[in-house]
Amino acid sequence: MRVLFLQPPLGWWAVWKRHIANNVAHAQLAANIREWYPEIEVKVLDARALGMDEKQMLDAIVEINPDLIYMGDALQTTGVAAIHPRYQHAAKLIKQVLPKVKICVGGFFYGANAPMMLEKTPEFDFVVAGETERTVPELAKELSKRDPDIPSIKGLAYRDKYGEVKLTAYRPLIENLDDLPLPAYDLFPMDKYVGFNYLKHYVETYMSRGCPNGCRFCVGWTNYDPRGNKDWTHYRYRSPERMAEEMELLVKKYGAKFICMMDEDLNVYRERMEGLIEELRRRNLKVPFFFMGRAPYHLRDRDLLKPLREVGFVCGLFGMEAVDKKTLEAIKKGTTVDEVAELVQLFRENNIVSVITWMVGFPEDDEMKIKDRIERLNLIDPDMAALQIMTPLPGIPMYKQLEPLVEDWDLRKWDFQHAVIRTKYLSREDLARLAAWANREFYSKPGRVQRILYYKGYHPFCRLIARTYVETAGKEHAQAAVEDKIFV
Amino acid sequence: MMQRDVHLTAKDLLMSMQFKPGDFGKIAVISGQPQRVQMALEKLKNPMRNFSAFGYTLWTGEYKGKRVTVGHGGMYAPDAALITELLCVGGVEYLIRLGSCGAMTKEIGIGDYVIAKGAIRGDGVTRYYVDDDFVPYADKTLTTKLAETCKKHTHLGMIWTTDAILRETKEIVNDAIAKGAIAVDMVTSPFLTIAQLYGKRACALLVVTDNLITGEIGFADIRVFDAERRMIERGFDLIREI
Repeated sequence: MRVLFLQPPLGWWAVWKRHIANNVAHAQLAANIREWYPEIEVKVLDARALGMDEKQMLDAIVEINPDLIYMGDALQTTGVAAIHPRYQHAAKLIKQVLPKVKICVGGFFYGANAPMMLEKTPEFDFVVAGETERTVPELAKELSKRDPDIPSIKGLAYRDKYGEVKLTAYRPLIENLDDLPLPAYDLFPMDKYVGFNYLKHYVETYMSRGCPNGCRFCVGWTNYDPRGNKDWTHYRYRSPERMAEEMELLVKKYGAKFICMMDEDLNVYRERMEGLIEELRRRNLKVPFFFMGRAPYHLRDRDLLKPLREVGFVCGLFGMEAVDKKTLEAIKKGTTVDEVAELVQLFRENNIVSVITWMVGFPEDDEMKIKDRIERLNLIDPDMAALQIMTPLPGIPMYKQLEPLVEDWDLRKWDFQHAVIRTKYLSREDLARLAAWANREFYSKPGRVQRILYYKGYHPFCRLIARTYVETAGKEHAQAAVEDKIFV
Repeated sequence: MMQRDVHLTAKDLLMSMQFKPGDFGKIAVISGQPQRVQMALEKLKNPMRNFSAFGYTLWTGEYKGKRVTVGHGGMYAPDAALITELLCVGGVEYLIRLGSCGAMTKEIGIGDYVIAKGAIRGDGVTRYYVDDDFVPYADKTLTTKLAETCKKHTHLGMIWTTDAILRETKEIVNDAIAKGAIAVDMVTSPFLTIAQLYGKRACALLVVTDNLITGEIGFADIRVFDAERRMIERGFDLIREI
């Protein structure tokens, strides 16, 4: 049995210009198979990182001659649902040259929609429902048997002998992430990855799962099987020791210069943050890193910001999304605007670049509401603002409410950068125009632009990330939002 | 009917703002855009705000042992005239303007610099100061030194100053080009005219934000942001030479 983890040619978010990240989900799954089923051969082909076109990818796959190919990502940042048309296209091409190979997808977007996506995608043989970490290795193991018992594998959508899509039993979550081996970075072209157009030796990690808050719009839900007990909100994490071990490995063995921790919510527990600081100090590890967290947790741990900055925390993201109480309650944000504003100041005092996520496209949004939102954002004055246009993925709690507002079902545009819905008061086109306007407004404000591009208290890598956002604000972002140009 | 010769002089205005002689340094670095003012202000040691009126603020501090005034120098001809005259009357001897312009030859790119040799007066305010045939020039010595600090992507030539950015029509623009203009702005004419009238040494360094020949617009282009920042550095490099 030979399993291939494939990242086919695909693009990146418009606002990130050229962004080629390692697929951390693939690295984790490859490591799991290698540790649990050493008899299974594991291969990796990151066609995007290697700059392969479709023909080169197919030639390489034919040469590897895998029995099972897996595609999928745990992170929304790869392109939200816009990854699906890319995976589907790759699968179609592969089946033409290797008709017997089995193709499985899973992770983000697929996790909550496994039977539906298998039904819609004849090129796929399997779609993982929910967490992939155990399901994919078990599938590989089962397929290596002469008479595989696919229905016995929990958390999997498959086709029976009549071609009917079936869904196997719910797979419970992994409770202790430390039970997993460290991701198999050794299989990946680690010197090829680039973050935000400028950062070479860039690495993304994923060291916790879920978020206890469970905002109703959050696409993180789509990693999980809806039959579970709100699995997305069941927070699990790697211990600080294992986190630091992974970071040390990345720095010392693979020359990582910047680590982007893509956990949706890293700072849930103070003890974990204290432990991370202690471990990084003990190992004398000097690497700048970014992580996403929630404002209330940061405020709870405000005394940790200084030591965090000292051990490399140079840039952090936290969500605001909206500014009016009604919307914040409707999306169950669990954060106040005052908390966000206070945290921006605390970050600034500690020379940590603040990135706020905010959204347009809530059902009640009209022009005034959106403009009020950016006015407030300007007053809060974070260093960067990651604007997301509401993208109602099936599997998020707000989906039923948003579905009637969807006007464009072309998944290539379902990447947060395109408007695919209208609101009660705005057409899809008006929403897109306002999104482009708001983003350009933010990234052309005198004073802010100079601060984020040139202020020497901020880490140079952060200034380069900011540069990408400034560069794309009036160009690529507007091309995606207003002209419907495809980027992922 | 009004009986006085003039309603308000620069001196009157300064005095009404509790200005005292010596508040300004001998050297002034002025800009219109607030971000440029802020970047210049950050170069000063111990800056003290000593003029603030009508939304225009000037600070005086120290740079490399010299007293330097920085602040808002106006964005358009009338307010540029006002601030320039206040600075001249307030005791400033060297005026350095760090501004922006639109290029009028296709060879000048976005993010390049134009150093003003002189100005072609398309503005309305200078007619209240000088005759129609007056041609304002930048100080030669200062301009030569400025050119030496800039070097790359820098163009020296005449600046046409207009009051009507949205009336840069083909006829008007080509007429200015025929008179020798290589770039257009909204400030240089009064800035140089008034400095010259008061016998002060003035020069202007402008970053290119757009190009009237190619039609390229770069007001929020990263090349402009980067060039702006370097422009501030070059402006302060010049102070060392004064």
